Amino acid sequence: MTAVVAESLTKRFGSVLAVDHLSFTLEAGTITGFLGPNGAGKTTTLRMLLGLSEPTSGSALVLGKPYAKLNRPALSVGAVLEATDFHPGRSGRDHLRMLCRAVDLPDSRADEVLQTVELQTAGRRRVKGYSLGMRQRLGLAGALLGDPELLILDEPANGLDPEGVRWLRDFLRAFASTGRTVLVSSHALAEVAQTVDQVLIITHGSLVVESSLQQLTSRVGATVRIRTSKPDELEQALSRAQLHATRDEQTLLVRGADTDRVGEIAFAAGVPVHELGTEGSSLEEIFLELTSEPGS
Amino acid sequence: MIAQLKAELLKVRSTRTTIGLFAGMIGLTLLFVLLTGLLTHPGNLTSKQDQRGLFAPGAVALIFAGLAGVLLVTSEYRYGTIRPTFLFTPRRGKVLSAKLTAGLLTGFVFGAVSLAIAIGVGSLILSARGIPSALSGSDFRVLVFGGLAGTALCGAFGVGLGAIIRNQVGAVIGLLAWDFVVNTLLFGLAPSIGRFMPTPAADALMGIRTAHLLPPAAGGAVLLAWTAALALTGLALALHRDVV
Repeated sequence: MTAVVAESLTKRFGSVLAVDHLSFTLEAGTITGFLGPNGAGKTTTLRMLLGLSEPTSGSALVLGKPYAKLNRPALSVGAVLEATDFHPGRSGRDHLRMLCRAVDLPDSRADEVLQTVELQTAGRRRVKGYSLGMRQRLGLAGALLGDPELLILDEPANGLDPEGVRWLRDFLRAFASTGRTVLVSSHALAEVAQTVDQVLIITHGSLVVESSLQQLTSRVGATVRIRTSKPDELEQALSRAQLHATRDEQTLLVRGADTDRVGEIAFAAGVPVHELGTEGSSLEEIFLELTSEPGS
Repeated sequence: MIAQLKAELLKVRSTRTTIGLFAGMIGLTLLFVLLTGLLTHPGNLTSKQDQRGLFAPGAVALIFAGLAGVLLVTSEYRYGTIRPTFLFTPRRGKVLSAKLTAGLLTGFVFGAVSLAIAIGVGSLILSARGIPSALSGSDFRVLVFGGLAGTALCGAFGVGLGAIIRNQVGAVIGLLAWDFVVNTLLFGLAPSIGRFMPTPAADALMGIRTAHLLPPAAGGAVLLAWTAALALTGLALALHRDVV
């Protein structure tokens, strides 16, 4: 069952091609990170998925239909595009109640979702006094009102403190563990790396990577760095294990193995290890490499 | 549509914006009635025309109803709540129809309160100053029903204008400029054209009969036409414009 299908989705603003023939499919029950630098076209894509913006060409189906054709879409799709979409003079609870009215949900539902996002005490205060983190959670509460099976969030971690980021991560995992689908955008891969199963990476409105997170992280830490007081013996032990190492005084750089393997080889050879770690690309570096301008 | 209307009415009640406008309108209506009633020479308060001028909520309630209508739409764009609104109700025509209805109701309430204050306080002042009432029962009926219809239509008129000019400052300035500058100038300089502008049409609807104004029914028809034109234009634009 597919939750979202984008087919050759294109949006042009005057001479700027914001989204360029973007196609992807999200299977139900997955958490997908929608990644790209600022200005890559992520938000424009999400607006088109949600019927707020008309594609120049191409189409988007959400749960099998264009969003605007869904019957009471808020009961199957929850979405947050901006963390700040509240009237500052209205209480968080009234904001949710007004959304409840529009889809015939009882006010009690507003109190339930306030509890879910841990805003039950602040709910009666005006949004003016909320921190950015509280606004993010209130936005999420609005998306949860209809108990949706698909959640679409644009940069939900923006402005959250580390505790808030962890809370969001736990929440999204718990949400997806019940077989529901999440699409979450971010400009920073590291922010969502611990949450998502797969990634869509776009730059300049085009898809550059569509892969599982596992495939992407397999590129991480490609080189193991080990420092020892007996580099000659270690070098021999490694070559017996068919591993090639480059040497710089007491430090060896090993390709093609992880730290566990290199550490075990050193242990078996009786070589004292002073330092063991990985070198080279981190997840963030890979992301930057994938999204940077070609040739720059 | 009913669900959306309930949502719109909760929006109106859950911030202080409309309540602030409402309080401002009450204050200005009172000020106007007290100043006109107490300071005008008794000789200038005896004719039907004088007393209609005293009782009519006039520019105060009309302009406040129009502003309330404008804010019903533009505050959603200003604060971004239009996004959740359209996500919950993607049929934009439904949202706009609910807003037009909420504008009509808000304008109606504004008109009812303004008329009650103007007629209540105005009559007290007249009787305290020993000036006999010149208006007949049917004059009062035109004043009250015309006033209610006029302010209700102005509320919807504001919604239509706000749907066309989504920028709040732009729409508010547009409304005030149209009312105070365009209407007034045009009516002053070329009354045969100016009387077809919204404000003179609303005055006519309440039975005010200064020179050049249309008869009440024609005034009502003109104001209705303006409101419908703005509402339909706003609707057509809302259906196709991207929400960013």
